[in-house]
Amino acid sequence: MNAIAKISHLEKIIDYFEIGPIDLTIEPGTITALIGNNGSGKSTFLKMLMNLAKPYRGNIQLFGKWVNGPDESWKQRVAYLPQKQIGFEPFKGETLKEMISGLYPNWDESLFQKIIADFKVPLHKKYNALSPGLQQKLNLALTIPRNTELMILDEPTNFMDIPSKSLLQDILAEWMEHGDRALLFASHQAEDIQKLADYLVLLKDGVQKGVYLKEDLLENYQTYWFGHALTDTHEIPGILTQEGNQLISDCPPETEKALEAKQIKWHSRSALPLEDIIALLLS
Amino acid sequence: MTLPIRLSKDSREPIYHQIEKQIKALIAGGHIEAHTPLPSIRALSKALEVSVITTRRAYQDLEQQGFIQTIQGKGTFVSNISATEKQEVKVAEVHETILQAVEAARRYDYTFSEIEAIFQKVLASLKNNEEA
Repeated sequence: MNAIAKISHLEKIIDYFEIGPIDLTIEPGTITALIGNNGSGKSTFLKMLMNLAKPYRGNIQLFGKWVNGPDESWKQRVAYLPQKQIGFEPFKGETLKEMISGLYPNWDESLFQKIIADFKVPLHKKYNALSPGLQQKLNLALTIPRNTELMILDEPTNFMDIPSKSLLQDILAEWMEHGDRALLFASHQAEDIQKLADYLVLLKDGVQKGVYLKEDLLENYQTYWFGHALTDTHEIPGILTQEGNQLISDCPPETEKALEAKQIKWHSRSALPLEDIIALLLS
Repeated sequence: MTLPIRLSKDSREPIYHQIEKQIKALIAGGHIEAHTPLPSIRALSKALEVSVITTRRAYQDLEQQGFIQTIQGKGTFVSNISATEKQEVKVAEVHETILQAVEAARRYDYTFSEIEAIFQKVLASLKNNEEA
């Protein structure tokens, strides 16, 4: 199958801050989470995908087309939700819907109505009269039913309460059931990442730490507990942190082999929660 | 439909294999009948918090072994499994569970005859309970 997005050696410099190089391929049927600390360049990266920011170096292809080329027909095949909507303030929800739905040939009106009903968004109120949570719900209702092959959401659960977050996870999982779509979303929410993401892209201060399959991350980080404090560990590979009778390895097979060779027995072994792994990789 | 699958992320057993084994056990144990629709790959992945790559691998293996069947455009369904095949899965699962218990005992440095004695004790106490 053809990749939906192909990003290679993408770099950007803003003042003295460097983003990249970023390399990423997005295949149909997959959900990719973009994760990074604040100011790590996530939003700028998403803007470059939409040709709203210019890269300093590198290439982006969506559906086989260069995004910075003269032909912008690919934009109809992408639904993008930025962190902040500009120009929505004076309009009512129903007006915004009329304006946006006409631009997308696959607009799904019943899905729009369902999201509005589920999230209880009042369409007759002006955008700037809505709370931040309701604004975000309206934004999502105006984005998801475009039914494009690629959807890009920049922090979709911002300002949303817990039941709404879980509702959105259901809506997005259901959205993925139809055809060969792909979803790319930036998030700080461990729960969203855990439930939805197939792949994790980690950006730390602009630098791409890696692209990981979710289970690979979970399998590659293990905590071990021992009956007593470990003293001589300098020859054991894979140790990320060690404190008293507990150690965390980022290469369990090698760590275990070395421990067994030294006849050091652990009494428990446990996978690290995804949130802790992300924190380790980003700190 | 949802499936009562519980994954151990601490286990050395790969996740796709855990999914496969538990679905097989549900089918062999008669808990999900032939022709029952299974959750979509995306829905099961979300419920288990794993990637679709892992769930797809489990479904593909189960399909190859004849436990489930995917019908294009309709979904994935439980196949008709013969009594002999169900029996084989049950035997394999019990075997595996006992093996894990024995391995746990070996980690505590018990000898084989000590383990056998423990096993006999467990059996005797279960028997007593059932007869009472």
